[in-house]
Amino acid sequence: MEILQYSLRKLLAGLPLIFGVTLVSFALMVYFGPDMTYQLLGKNPTPDQILEVRHQLGYDQPFLQRYLGFLREIVTFDFGVASTGEPVTTLLAKTIPVSLILILPGFILGHVVGLLLALAAAYWRGTWLDKLIMAVAVIGMSVSFLIVIIGFQIVLSSSDGLDLFPVRGWNASSLGSYLSYVTVPTLATMFVALGYDTRFYRSVIVEEMTRDHVRTARAFGLPESRILLRNILKNCLIPFITRIMFSIPQVAIGGALLIESYFGIPGIGKATYEAIVTGDQPVLKAVVSLTAILFVLVVVLNDILYRVVDPRVTLK
Amino acid sequence: MNAVTLPLPAANRASGESLWRKAARKFGRDRLGMLALGIVLAYFIVALGAWLGWWAGGWADLTGTKWEPVSSGHWFGTNIIGQDIFDRAIFSTATAFEVGLSVALAATLIGTVVGAYAGFFVGSWSDEFLLWCMGVLDAIPFYLFVAAVAYALTDNPWAMQVAMIATFWVGTARLIRGEVIKLRGMEYVEAAHSIGVPELAIIFRHIVPNTGHIVLVQASITFVSAIKAEVILSFLGLGIKDGMSWGLMIDESTKEVLAGFYNNFLAASLLMFGLVMAFNAVADALQDALDPRKVG
Repeated sequence: MEILQYSLRKLLAGLPLIFGVTLVSFALMVYFGPDMTYQLLGKNPTPDQILEVRHQLGYDQPFLQRYLGFLREIVTFDFGVASTGEPVTTLLAKTIPVSLILILPGFILGHVVGLLLALAAAYWRGTWLDKLIMAVAVIGMSVSFLIVIIGFQIVLSSSDGLDLFPVRGWNASSLGSYLSYVTVPTLATMFVALGYDTRFYRSVIVEEMTRDHVRTARAFGLPESRILLRNILKNCLIPFITRIMFSIPQVAIGGALLIESYFGIPGIGKATYEAIVTGDQPVLKAVVSLTAILFVLVVVLNDILYRVVDPRVTLK
Repeated sequence: MNAVTLPLPAANRASGESLWRKAARKFGRDRLGMLALGIVLAYFIVALGAWLGWWAGGWADLTGTKWEPVSSGHWFGTNIIGQDIFDRAIFSTATAFEVGLSVALAATLIGTVVGAYAGFFVGSWSDEFLLWCMGVLDAIPFYLFVAAVAYALTDNPWAMQVAMIATFWVGTARLIRGEVIKLRGMEYVEAAHSIGVPELAIIFRHIVPNTGHIVLVQASITFVSAIKAEVILSFLGLGIKDGMSWGLMIDESTKEVLAGFYNNFLAASLLMFGLVMAFNAVADALQDALDPRKVG
């Protein structure tokens, strides 16, 4: 009950953020954005036709009225029709599941493997294993995501490489074909995420390992595994949760966009990219609003998880 | 300054090395850090030469035929239309520094000023407003923001840099704000208050210099982020419009690698990897050198 009340209050507090995101992106993208009039008209339009199209697009209305119209679209979740003639909501319903099953394996595996490597590096701190893991992490941090994608594609999918997986495209009709298409994007996402995540996890774990209560636990003769799980990892949960939660919006938009447009996977990222290139404003407006909402949800969920893992945290 | 200089006790003076001198000494002893700094400087000289027109001036000229292999005339071979890949890669180094330096300097400056101001007046309405701005910028998808800025600036060649500056300052501002919140309660700030130093002078003359270690590390991290973002944005067609960059080379190479020609891809990605790796190592070494908890 308390949590429900708190979430509602937090969601309300997130409204100014959504308001700001929509206002800024509306001003930049739509109001100062490209004039779509002539793309919709044929050759040699009459002045009446021009006026007609401008009216349809709402260009003849003042800024405030157009912005309020955008807010109405968000509240009613009706973003109109994309330039392909498809309703934006249908487009979202079609593309978002694709992106989810594309991104999730890499996201989960990246964090799990990163955590395991970080644990190993922290536990054997200062040894060659630690140095090796950290060196690989710096390499992962330093290679551009794009280069990793192309590199994995050359090595795993091209005829010059191992030629194990399809070069590009998407087919999730059966588990086998899903796995064959999802592997290369997943490996690329993992490799890049591992660099940053392993370093982060390691620094948090090392900081926690050197605390007095851990030494005390060790002096009491508690088994190492118990110290690790109960005394160290449990105390690391708050920074871990923050890290994981706030990487969600980034991965969902940034990661999906690059991977999908590179591999030609029909997810929300590719749809967004195409909308950016063609200036398809209904789609862009929908994506911006959804991201802003996702961001607020992440903030709320993050605070609730704090409370779950640490009872000392009060929700106020 | 109307401060009175008191003679320090002799013992104190011997160990009274300033933070910066101590950091420089620690950095100088960090062999990996010094090596990385040397690599960054070498890249910078390469970039400087390209700016001054000493070399790589012919990056756009057709000097060979399609996909020539590595030779003494074309050190890295030629690309699909017969341009020299070595010249293009070298010229792109200058572009990378242009983007990295302009974004890092501007974003760090804005981040420091805004963060210090918000942190000093923590809890006030201006702090709330600045926090709201940061939240908004964080919540807008980066690629969309870049595209939107490009629209709004009607394809100005600086649109990408403007968009990066407009988003990258946020991280620095949050860190500086947190540090300033800690520092504003210190005695020396109270002392400055009590002798009537104006608030802005307290913030920027007394507090901000003490956040220098964060500023320096953030600037190098922003530099790296900008170079990496440029590659992806140029590939997506949202980045460098005229000129040459590693991102554009990699974009060009995506058609070539599937045909089995890797020179363009390797030249751009290895050069970029070297610079980013070295810069990351410099940032790490800086962080270690400036961290007072690490004894050196």
